[in-house]
Amino acid sequence: MGNCLQGLTSSNDGVSLLRGSETPPPLLESQSSSDLQLHASSSSGMAFGPPPPYEESMPMYHPTPNVSRPASQLTEEEQVKIAKRIGLIQHLPTGTYDGCKKNRECVICMVEFMVGDAVRYLPCMHTYHVECIDDWLMRSFTCPSCMEPVESALLSTYEAN
Amino acid sequence: MSELQSALLLRKQLAELNKNPVEGFSAGLIDDSDIYRWEVLLIGPPDTLYEGGFFKAHIYFPKEYPLRPPKMKFITEIWHPNIEKNGDVCISILHEPGDDKWGYEKACERWLPIHTVETIMISVISMLADPNDQSPANVDAAKEWRENFPEFKRKVARCVRRSQEEML
Ligand SMILES: [Zn+2]
Ligand SMILES: [Zn+2]
Repeated sequence: MGNCLQGLTSSNDGVSLLRGSETPPPLLESQSSSDLQLHASSSSGMAFGPPPPYEESMPMYHPTPNVSRPASQLTEEEQVKIAKRIGLIQHLPTGTYDGCKKNRECVICMVEFMVGDAVRYLPCMHTYHVECIDDWLMRSFTCPSCMEPVESALLSTYEAN
Repeated sequence: MSELQSALLLRKQLAELNKNPVEGFSAGLIDDSDIYRWEVLLIGPPDTLYEGGFFKAHIYFPKEYPLRPPKMKFITEIWHPNIEKNGDVCISILHEPGDDKWGYEKACERWLPIHTVETIMISVISMLADPNDQSPANVDAAKEWRENFPEFKRKVARCVRRSQEEML
């Protein structure tokens, strides 16, 4: 236990400065992959410059977990990566909570599931609220409960079928 | 996770910790009107050099909690390889989730959205008992811990003594 990566710590401060105290809106709630517009041409050259002011309502993306940028400031490579991630997340099954006793609580928000809540099932069978897990999966593609990498689990499911 | 949800989640944890205190630490808010800034009092774990000490620390949660980790800072002076001289705690679970590109094996050591004040405190208590000198935050303390343990012990004992005096 205990391992210090000082570079990370200092870059976090920069990010929180950049973002102020604004919380970005949940990514997938208002935005599905079909209406996600990523303009490769408008972003080139901007990616490394100082960030221009952006509107508070603009959806934010996380090319790496501790970086947040609106779509217009992503590099082409980051856009591809994020679009691919959104596609993979939408491959994961969703449903509405049916009162199953095995999954009682969403461990991210620590709130008990209510019948009818929109939930997402990960390949490891851990279940979360769609809005809780989708935000997390955009940052890190692993199950928060068992740390299983979701992508490799998805791939092995495909191979098995 | 909206700002309201992060505040709700933290309020829930505070209520739970008040109702069922966890051995080894007590927790509250620095200012009752700000749920994002906590003050904890850590009791030096038994059978460690820190035994008998009372260490005050602050935990600062971002509005994006639990998607992003909080930062923790000791207010009471403490000498430890994984705590910076200014008190900042450097443990891997308080680092942002790792980028998948660099391998999955590290993900479990980094921040996860299921961490709570309780699990963070448990990690910090285990860090006090078992320092990690791989990438120390306090290089001098790490060097002493490895090469001059008697001196390391002396410095820790002084911190423990001072922390007791501060409590009086
Ligand atoms: Zn939830
Ligand atoms: Zn899982």
